[in-house]
Amino acid sequence: MEEQKTNTPTPEANKKNWFDKNYKLLMLLPILLTLSAVIYLGFFYYSHNHEILLKDVSLSGGTMITLTVGSDTINFEEFKITLEQKSALRGADVSLRKLTDIGTGKLMSIIVESSSNSEELKGDIESILGYALTNDNSSIEFSEPSLGKNFFNQLMWALFIAFILMSIVIFVMFRTFIPSIAVIFSAFSDIVVPLAIVDFFGVKLSAAGIAAFLMLIGYSVDTDILLTTRALDPKQTREGNLNQRIFGAFKTGILMTSTAIFAVLPAFLIVTGLPDSFRQIFLILALGLFADLIFTWMANAGIIKWYCDKKGIR
Amino acid sequence: MVSYRVWILGIVLILSIISIAPWAAFESGVMIKSVEKNSTEFESGLRSGMIITEIDSNKISNLEEYSRYVSNLTFTDNEPQKISIKANSNYFVFLKDSPLSITVENIPKTRLKTGLDLSGGARALIKPENISLDDSQIGDLVAITTERFNVYGLKDISIRPVKDLGGENYLLIEIAGATPSDMEDLISNQGKFEGKVGNITAFSGGKNDIPHVERSGAQAGIDGCYANQGGGEYCTFRFGITLSEEAAQRHADITSNLSISTENPEYLSEKLNLYLDDNLIDSLFISKDLKGRVTTQISIQGSGSGSDRAAALKDAEANMKKLQTILITGSLPYKLKIVKLDTISPVLGKEFVNNLLKLGLIVFGVISLVLFIRYRKIKLTLAVILTMFSEVLITLGIAALIKWNLDAPSIAGIIAGMGTGVNDQIVIIDESESKKSSTLKQKIKNAFFIIIGAFFTIFAAMLPLFWAGAGLLRGFALTTLICVTVGILITRPAFAEILRKIKE
Repeated sequence: MEEQKTNTPTPEANKKNWFDKNYKLLMLLPILLTLSAVIYLGFFYYSHNHEILLKDVSLSGGTMITLTVGSDTINFEEFKITLEQKSALRGADVSLRKLTDIGTGKLMSIIVESSSNSEELKGDIESILGYALTNDNSSIEFSEPSLGKNFFNQLMWALFIAFILMSIVIFVMFRTFIPSIAVIFSAFSDIVVPLAIVDFFGVKLSAAGIAAFLMLIGYSVDTDILLTTRALDPKQTREGNLNQRIFGAFKTGILMTSTAIFAVLPAFLIVTGLPDSFRQIFLILALGLFADLIFTWMANAGIIKWYCDKKGIR
Repeated sequence: MVSYRVWILGIVLILSIISIAPWAAFESGVMIKSVEKNSTEFESGLRSGMIITEIDSNKISNLEEYSRYVSNLTFTDNEPQKISIKANSNYFVFLKDSPLSITVENIPKTRLKTGLDLSGGARALIKPENISLDDSQIGDLVAITTERFNVYGLKDISIRPVKDLGGENYLLIEIAGATPSDMEDLISNQGKFEGKVGNITAFSGGKNDIPHVERSGAQAGIDGCYANQGGGEYCTFRFGITLSEEAAQRHADITSNLSISTENPEYLSEKLNLYLDDNLIDSLFISKDLKGRVTTQISIQGSGSGSDRAAALKDAEANMKKLQTILITGSLPYKLKIVKLDTISPVLGKEFVNNLLKLGLIVFGVISLVLFIRYRKIKLTLAVILTMFSEVLITLGIAALIKWNLDAPSIAGIIAGMGTGVNDQIVIIDESESKKSSTLKQKIKNAFFIIIGAFFTIFAAMLPLFWAGAGLLRGFALTTLICVTVGILITRPAFAEILRKIKE
C-alpha cells in the first residue's frame, strides 16, 4: 500500500496522465482571465476619469451616515427617492444602501453616502424622517476630499510596496527565476481579478477594503509557496514523482483555501449587522481566495510542471 | 515527557489569561473613570482606575447602586458633610458641600479595550490649515489641545500625534462613549485672543501675558439674568484675570495717552476691546482712574442668551468657559482644520460586538467541521482547533497588555491571522502524513520551510499598512502580525510536538 508506482493504473494515476496531457491547455483559462481583468481595468480607468476603482466617502471625501432603523418603519424606496431629490437640489450626489436581516428580511439599517458635508446631509435626512439624528440612532463619518485623496494615494503606495516586498521574499526563498515569477504572477492575478469584479459590480471601496487587498497578497501566496516548494523539492526529501508531488500539494492547498473560504462566508450568509468595513474586508478576501484556486492550481501548477519538465526535475 | 515547546505554549496561555483578566466580570463595585483635578476627592487620594465598593458604609456593587446612592445625597452650600468612600480596600474620607467631582463606570468585564467603531464615540483627525507641522510643533499642539479639552471638563479622551506615509503630521483625537456636540467648535477654533485699546494690542491669551485666570469662587461667575426686549433672556458673566507686569505696563502706556471721554466723563475715550479670532466679543469701559496706571487685576465681562433663562444661563456659562480656556491656553499660531470627523453610535457598536462574537463562534464551528470531514480524526481536529483558539487568546492577551483598542479592522486581522494559522497546521499535518521514508522530524522541517515563507510574505504585505492612511488601519496590520508571529514562535512548534505525540 505504501509504495504506489506511477505505472499502476489507479484513478490517481489516470488523473496524472490527464494532467500531463492538458496542463498547458489548463493554463489558458487563468491567463485569459488575468488578461481580461487587466483590459477591463484599463477600460474602467479611462471611462471613470482616470480612477482604477470606485471610492467610498472615506477615500473620495464626503459624508456617510448609518441609520439604525430600530423599531420604526421606514419605506426605503420612498426615503431614497426623497433624499435623492433633496440632494440634487444642492448638486450633491447621494447613494443609499440598506442592510436587512437575513432571517426575517427586516430592514435593519440604511447607509447613506453623499458628497455633501455632514451638516447638510444630516439636515436633509432629519427633515425626511421628522426626528433628530442622535448618537443613539445614527453614526456619522465625514472625510475632507483632500484627506481622502491623500489616504487613497498612500494605500496605493502601500499596496505597491507590499507587492515588491512580497516579491523579494519569494525570490529569496526560491532563488530561481521562473518559479518565483510564477508565484508573483499568481499573486498579481489574485489582486487584479477581484478588483475587476468589484469594479464591475460597482462596489465602492473603503480604506479597509484596500487594506484587504494588501492582506490578499500575504494570504494568497501561501498555497503557491506550498506548491512550488513541493514541486521543486530542492533537498530531494520528498517521495513520489513530480505529478504526485503536485497532486499532493493540490490536496493540501484545496483544503487550506476551502477552510479559509468557509471561514469568510458566514460573514455574508449567516451573521448580519457587522461593521461595513469588516464586511468589505471579507468580501475581497473571499473573491481573492476563489481567484487563488484558479491561479495556483491552473496557472502556477502548469508553469511549475512545464519548468520542471524542461529542467528535468522528476 | 512533555516537550518544552508545549510548556512554553501553556505558560504563554496562562499569562494571556492573566493579561485579559476575565475574572473581573465577577468583581463587584464601580470603577472611577475620572477625578477632577484640585477637587477634595483628588486631594484625598482617589484616582481614576480605583474600584469603589462602599460609600458611607453602603455597599456599592454596580453603577445603578452608585447612581441611586449619589443622587440621594443632598448638599447645602457652606455646610460641608463628611463622605467616606472605600476604594481598593482603603477608606478615603473628605468633607464636601457640593456634588462629587468624580465620574464612575461599571467595572469592565475584561481588560480588553474596544475601538471607537465598536464602543461608540467620536474621532477627529486634525491638520493645521496651509502649513505642515514638524514633530516638535505637533507635540506643542497635543499639549495645548489636551489642556483645552481638560479645561472643558472632557475626560476619557485620547489625543495623540499620528504620522502618515507621506511624512505628514496629524493630530488624532478620540473621545469614547457619548460625544459632545460642540466638539467641532472646540477643535476648529483657533482661539486667538487679543485685548486691544484702539488699534494697539495690550495683551493676548496665554501664560506670558495672563499668568492667572479666575475660574471659580467669588472672582468668577454669573452676575445675573435679564429679559431681552425682543423676547428671550440674557445672562452676564464676569471673571478676574491677572496680567503680567509687562502686559500691565503696556496697558498703562497705552491708556496714559488717552483722554477722558466727553460723553461718559467717568471713563476714558477708548474702550478695551476683546477679540476672539478677530471677532469683537466684548467692549469694556476703562475707568478714568486707570489712566496710565499699572494694574495687574482686570475683570472680564461677557454674556450669553437663550430663549429662556435656563438656556441663557447655559449659554453664558459656556461662553465664560470658552473665554477662560482661551485666556489660559493662549492661541495657536495657525488655524486648525478637521479633515476627518467620525461619530459612532454606541448602540450600533454594541450590536457589532455581539455579531462579531457570534461570527467568531460560527467560524470556529465551520472550520472544525471541515477539518473533521477531511481527516476524520477527533484528536487531530481538536489539536488544530485548540491551537487556533490559543492563537486568538494569546493575540488578545497581547492586545490587552499593550492596551490596544480593538476596532473592526483589528478583529478582521485576528480572523485573517486565524485563517493563516489553520493553513499552516494543515501544511504540517499533510507533510507529516506524506508517504515518504524520511523521518517525521525531516517532514516537519519541510513543513516549516513553507510556513516560514508564508509568514514572511504576510509580514511584508502588512508592514506598509502601519503608516499608510495616518495609521487608521494599523489595527488590521498589528493584530494580523501578532497572530502570525505568535503562530510561528509559539503555537506552531507546540502543534508539531502535539502532532508527534498523536502519531506515536
